[in-house]
Amino acid sequence: MKTSLLWLRWSWRDLRLRWLQVLAIALIIALGTGVYSGLISTSPWREQSNDASYDLLNMYDLHLSLTPGSYLDWATLTSALDSMEHADWVTAVEPRLIQPALVDASTDTQTIIIPGRVIGAELGEAAPHINDLYATAGRGLESGDSGQMIAVLEHKFAAYYGLPAQGEIRLSGDTTLQYVGTGLSPEYFVVFTEEGGMMAEANFAVVFVSLETAQTLADRSGMVNDVLFTLTADSDPAIVQSEVETAIHGFANVGLSFSQPQDDEAYRMLYEDISQDEAFWRWMAYLFLAGAVFGAFNLATRLVESQRREIGIQMALGVPPRRIAIRPLLVAAQIAVLGVVFGLVVGVVIGNAFGDVLQDMMPLPVFLAPFQTRIFLEAAALGILLPLAATLIPVIRALRVEPVDAIKTGHLVAKGGGLAPALARQSVSGRVLPRMPLRNLLRAPRRTLLTLLGVAAAITLLVLITGVLDSFNMTLDQARMEILRGNPDRITVQLNFFYPADSTVVANIQLSPVIAASDTLLQLGGYLIHDGVTIETLLDMMDMTSEIWKPSLASGAYPGERPGVVIAANAARDLGVQPGDTITLRHPQRTGLFSYDWVETEVEVSGIHPLPLRFATYMDIQQADVMGMGGVVNTLQVIPASGVTQDEVKRTLFDQAGVASAQPVSGVIRVFEDLIGEFASMFVVMQGAAVALAVLIAYNSTSINLDERSREIATMFAFGMRIRTALRVPVVENLIVSVIGTAVGSVLGFIFLVLMLSDVTSILPDVDMSVVLHPLTLVLALVIAVLVAALTPILSVRKLARMDIPSTLRVME
Amino acid sequence: MGNDKWITSIIELEQISKKYQMGEVCVAALDSISLHVTPGEFLVVLGPSGSGKTTLLNLIGALDTATSGYICIGGQRITQMTRPERFRYRREMVSFIFQSFNLFPGLTAMENVQFGMESAERKANGATAQGVLRQVGLESRLHHFPHQLSGGEQQRVAIARALATGNPILLADEPTGELDFKTGIQILELLHEQSHNGKTVLIVTHNREIARVADRVIELSSGHIVSDGVPENHHATIADLSW
Repeated sequence: MKTSLLWLRWSWRDLRLRWLQVLAIALIIALGTGVYSGLISTSPWREQSNDASYDLLNMYDLHLSLTPGSYLDWATLTSALDSMEHADWVTAVEPRLIQPALVDASTDTQTIIIPGRVIGAELGEAAPHINDLYATAGRGLESGDSGQMIAVLEHKFAAYYGLPAQGEIRLSGDTTLQYVGTGLSPEYFVVFTEEGGMMAEANFAVVFVSLETAQTLADRSGMVNDVLFTLTADSDPAIVQSEVETAIHGFANVGLSFSQPQDDEAYRMLYEDISQDEAFWRWMAYLFLAGAVFGAFNLATRLVESQRREIGIQMALGVPPRRIAIRPLLVAAQIAVLGVVFGLVVGVVIGNAFGDVLQDMMPLPVFLAPFQTRIFLEAAALGILLPLAATLIPVIRALRVEPVDAIKTGHLVAKGGGLAPALARQSVSGRVLPRMPLRNLLRAPRRTLLTLLGVAAAITLLVLITGVLDSFNMTLDQARMEILRGNPDRITVQLNFFYPADSTVVANIQLSPVIAASDTLLQLGGYLIHDGVTIETLLDMMDMTSEIWKPSLASGAYPGERPGVVIAANAARDLGVQPGDTITLRHPQRTGLFSYDWVETEVEVSGIHPLPLRFATYMDIQQADVMGMGGVVNTLQVIPASGVTQDEVKRTLFDQAGVASAQPVSGVIRVFEDLIGEFASMFVVMQGAAVALAVLIAYNSTSINLDERSREIATMFAFGMRIRTALRVPVVENLIVSVIGTAVGSVLGFIFLVLMLSDVTSILPDVDMSVVLHPLTLVLALVIAVLVAALTPILSVRKLARMDIPSTLRVME
Repeated sequence: MGNDKWITSIIELEQISKKYQMGEVCVAALDSISLHVTPGEFLVVLGPSGSGKTTLLNLIGALDTATSGYICIGGQRITQMTRPERFRYRREMVSFIFQSFNLFPGLTAMENVQFGMESAERKANGATAQGVLRQVGLESRLHHFPHQLSGGEQQRVAIARALATGNPILLADEPTGELDFKTGIQILELLHEQSHNGKTVLIVTHNREIARVADRVIELSSGHIVSDGVPENHHATIADLSW
């Protein structure tokens, strides 16, 4: 017991002697274990919160939506569903009517006219039973609200604009609704728009009303276009889907789309994003821990070297090597434990902070954040074992030395020159001092390499984090350049139904005094199919000679005589096609006044457009006849008249019959800008941590370096060399290591970036993410590394100025 | 001697004391020492451990500052110098030779010598450095690193480095302490030669044999000079030494 205490006390003295270096490594370990435990804890939190939230609001098991423009009579549909063979598998069915709308939620201080949709759901005794509403402010919908002009606003839209819990909104067609609260609904836990906008609450307003109210607003009494099912646990959704299809086609010729929760974009993102984020956090934590390992190795090497004679004396006294190893290992263990203790605190702080960001970005009705013991134990184990393992190497090397060699002092200490002799024959002209840094680095190649890798780890993190933002921004720039090309004030006006191109509804818009020019378009949802691959698309059929806007071409040509489409580069890549190839376009075709069915048409890929959004497909409206849609339009692109603002156009069109929404094309860009803004704030914190890591690693290596060189520096002082001249050597040494470390880190960062963004692409397949490292990012990394490298030795000026030169000259190691 | 010593002294110490506070105890490493050394003198300071001989060397080299008294080296009052002035003084007046050599392990023998020239702000050309190394018999070891040299060779490089500064005073702290007898003798010969070349050489040692070849020997004990004069058997040659 007494012996153990002696070793412990001895190790404490070692720790105290180098407390700043100890603290620096403990902080690096703390960052690693903190990032690991804190951020990875959010994975189970998110999974549990998602499960609980979807359970609470009774997410559907099967979702049926009719082809846009199609409607079915609910009474007929109900009796058809009752006749299904496996009707007993269906535990609940809820009809909905979903209509696009332009929502005016303007307040005294801001104009808020945003496209969105009105969702009418059947109200029972309380709110809807399937895809329930969770009231976040005010109240939800009640049975008494059926048929009333009462609504609930989607929570994130209301929160984005800071709308009160209750108030008034107007819908296009001059309808006023009283909203009584705001709420969350499973399909909008993350708001997606049809244009591919994610987290698009700024540009997409969802209004929940009773089914009867929606039918009144759409003038579709008794009609529905969307049905939700919940099924028993032992049911087969595929069989139910097939039976529903048969039942409906028994009385109506309409196109049907079925989906399950995993097909829902919000659902998919909420779950799939977890594993992707976790992989990213793990990489980050491992990079931090790598920094800690390199730092611990350097310190341990230094510690063991300074104890060389003591180790030799212990060997001479017959102390078994295992016991001799106790002291340096105890030191390492205590540093690791200290780092882990700090790290666990950092982990709790990071976890809570990130939990807050998550709740803010993607609020859920239930957020669970229990302490993740297993993850914290994993982090603690990594934080302790990795630095200990790094310490073992120099300890084992020291114990292999013969006692007689270990005890030697002065010139008898056989210290090899490492790789320095390789430079012995370099030019003898010029000053000697500038040669010292490189020689010093080569003298200790292992330590140099590990310091270099430590710096590289920090730079990798920095480049990775900044590269993600660069890539987002570059993708955004590409989209911005294409969408805003020519007429940046362009506004897309969506109609609430299909209208003949020469109808009064269309003419009234075109002739409006607020509009200078317009084109009619046909916008359809559909699918591109080729070689077994199917991707969803939003098809814009437009005048390919339009002077307002048409897609530019990255390759190929605009469609000619034959039916042809201009598709996105990533669509072409995913389908494995190029201009000139033929693909299948699955699209709606009118079969009656309120019914559309899905049909397939062979079309040529005539060109590739540069918009980095896979779903965007363009076709000449002249070819609408081929698809049975000739002469029908549902969208216009318009240019405001001179001196008329976009808001004035929106407000004027808002009151016009047939207008569902009017949205400046810049709104699509804004969705992405907001999204990047959310990520950026989170990433700035990580950038700060990466810079802190770089500073700590540089400080640690410099401090160890100066300790090792103290006798040389004292000799320089004895020869009258100025502090600033002597300091130039470690500064240049640091610079060399930092510049090479930055180069290595930049390459590694880019590799990690490519890997990470390929994961993003699998979650957001519609976005063609460019992998980009902005030159400024590399300059930033280099500047940070160089500044840190240059400045950290300067932190030691005071220490050098106070150096006891005579004592340091006599240091024996 | 009279006033002559004031005119001819290159090193002058008057009533120099150096005291250290060790806890509550005040230890006097040097106590009111006065000393005058003339240019070209080969002076050996003898004394047991703790007698204050290294402290004396450090004060003359301006590595340390006196608690009281007056030091004037080459006409410069170093006791009143600021820190930068002391650095400049070391560049221009003194050169050190250490017991453990203190060579720069990352530099070759020639580069170590060039360092000495650079520190004294002399033009550090290769030819001059080679010349100095030839003087100490190391012309065949120019491009060797310290770890590739024997102890004696390393100390020769250290002497060459000190000589390369061109400074008039050589301060050597136990220069043969880590060397075997034969090598120690060679080093001593080298240093002795320097005094013949006009350098003032001050050697601190506990080895009485070395004192036999000195022009003058000062013996220290407990911070006081207990004897100052020519050694017994003066005119002994280095060949007569043994330890």
